[in-house]
Amino acid sequence: MSTESKKDWKKIARANGLSIPDAALERIAQSLDALEADFRPLARALPSETEPAVAFHAAIHADGEDAE
Amino acid sequence: MTLLEAAAALRRREVSSAELTAAALQRIDRLNPSTNAMQFVMAEAARERAKQADEELARGEGRGPLQGIPIAVKDLFCTKGVRTTGGSRLFEDYVPDHDATVVEWLRAGGAVLVGKTGMHELAYGITSSNPHFGAIRNPWDRDRIPGGSSGGSGAAVSAGMVPMAMGSDTGGSIRIPASFCGVVGLKPTYGRVSRYGAMPLGFSLDHMGPLTRSVRDAGAVLNAIAGYDPRDETSSRRPVESYVPDIEPSIRGLRIGLPENFYFERLDPDVDAAVRVAFHTAESRGAEIVPLRVPDIAAINTVARVILLAEASALLEPHLEQRDRFGDDVLALLDQGRLLPATDYINAQRLRRAMQREFAGLWSRVDCLFTPTTPITAPRIGETTVTAGGENEDVRLAATRLVRAINPLGLPAVSIPCGADRRGLPIGLQIVGRPFAEALVLRVAQALVPVEVPVPPL
Repeated sequence: MSTESKKDWKKIARANGLSIPDAALERIAQSLDALEADFRPLARALPSETEPAVAFHAAIHADGEDAE
Repeated sequence: MTLLEAAAALRRREVSSAELTAAALQRIDRLNPSTNAMQFVMAEAARERAKQADEELARGEGRGPLQGIPIAVKDLFCTKGVRTTGGSRLFEDYVPDHDATVVEWLRAGGAVLVGKTGMHELAYGITSSNPHFGAIRNPWDRDRIPGGSSGGSGAAVSAGMVPMAMGSDTGGSIRIPASFCGVVGLKPTYGRVSRYGAMPLGFSLDHMGPLTRSVRDAGAVLNAIAGYDPRDETSSRRPVESYVPDIEPSIRGLRIGLPENFYFERLDPDVDAAVRVAFHTAESRGAEIVPLRVPDIAAINTVARVILLAEASALLEPHLEQRDRFGDDVLALLDQGRLLPATDYINAQRLRRAMQREFAGLWSRVDCLFTPTTPITAPRIGETTVTAGGENEDVRLAATRLVRAINPLGLPAVSIPCGADRRGLPIGLQIVGRPFAEALVLRVAQALVPVEVPVPPL
């Protein structure tokens, strides 16, 4: 079970200067919390050598060759 | 009539492009009031283009199978001199000065653009219940959604307004309407079809592809739109193939993956049964069914959602002060994306790389995968939750659950009809292949659906 506290989305919005009304933040908080719960463990398990798919080419890794 | 049947009839002089176009326009006139599939109709320009096509054909100037065929494109493809709204109030008066590459290449092939299809606002959703331009309705049951975001394209092709309409797919937006409307929907490999001139939603997830009434038609359209385009920096230089499968192709010896995890969980029982019949059909035609465990698709879906939330919000950030110009559902997603830290986006792209490598390992064991396209058939307009496999689920998450992961992986996938549920609503089968294996995916699809898809009772 996670021991982390949930993020305070209202504070995050204010700290980032985002003009999102409180009512809108309340509506999306549950979705964001759920996404956090799914995503955080995946991100934590990432090996440090894994680089982002910034320039993405579908064939490279599937075929083991640079086809581009 | 399918696109290729119409093309053959044109060449035999049994019909003219002017007649095909007039018939398409008449059908749009008759059925658009009840489906809202078409956002704009370009009748005058289409008639002129059809006349040109007939003149070219009379002179023996062949441009290929699209010549003289009436088509439509989703209203996010830029069309020179014609409004391109993206289904949004933000762009309701936007008139591009250029064609999208896909439109340009379809026109070069002689296609007759009769109109632009409606869509979910900004392509950011799956209902196509557009708050600005009205709900699009499923021709099989007009109280139900056509799916989305390419809902107008799915509905227009299903209703027989046009034999082909272009769509885009960022998290299932071609395959979901194909499934719900009972047509063929092809999402090619990332990089196979240019994204230039198509309004983006998620830069690294957007794919362009056709919705058609037959598998061979999808191949014919891919022949026209596939290829390297220097205006899209993710465009592949890999040579194109001929994508139209034989009428009765062999699939003997092909290895078809049967996922043992994820894809058959929480399904409508009618969907489960119909998709399992497709495996039996493939096996009866000589294919080998290979049960296997697939990588963690739920995790790939999560990664895809993080990437899309961040990319879409980055893209639309300049417009987000105009909150009253967005529908509630789209605005909620855009707000969510603004609250994600940049580190989440980077880590999602790192996870994507790792998952791409893991998934690539499947292709040494199978040639393609069969899965349901959607766990449910078309929900009613306005439904926000659905029941799939006895559990309530958000309609958007349910509709995208089995298709979304294929976008960050960039793989080619086609949805074909594989039966109907107890209410007569279409069920979709998704066939997924390795990168750039569109020809194989379409060959397998043609072996299962060798004829034109059924027309709903209209």
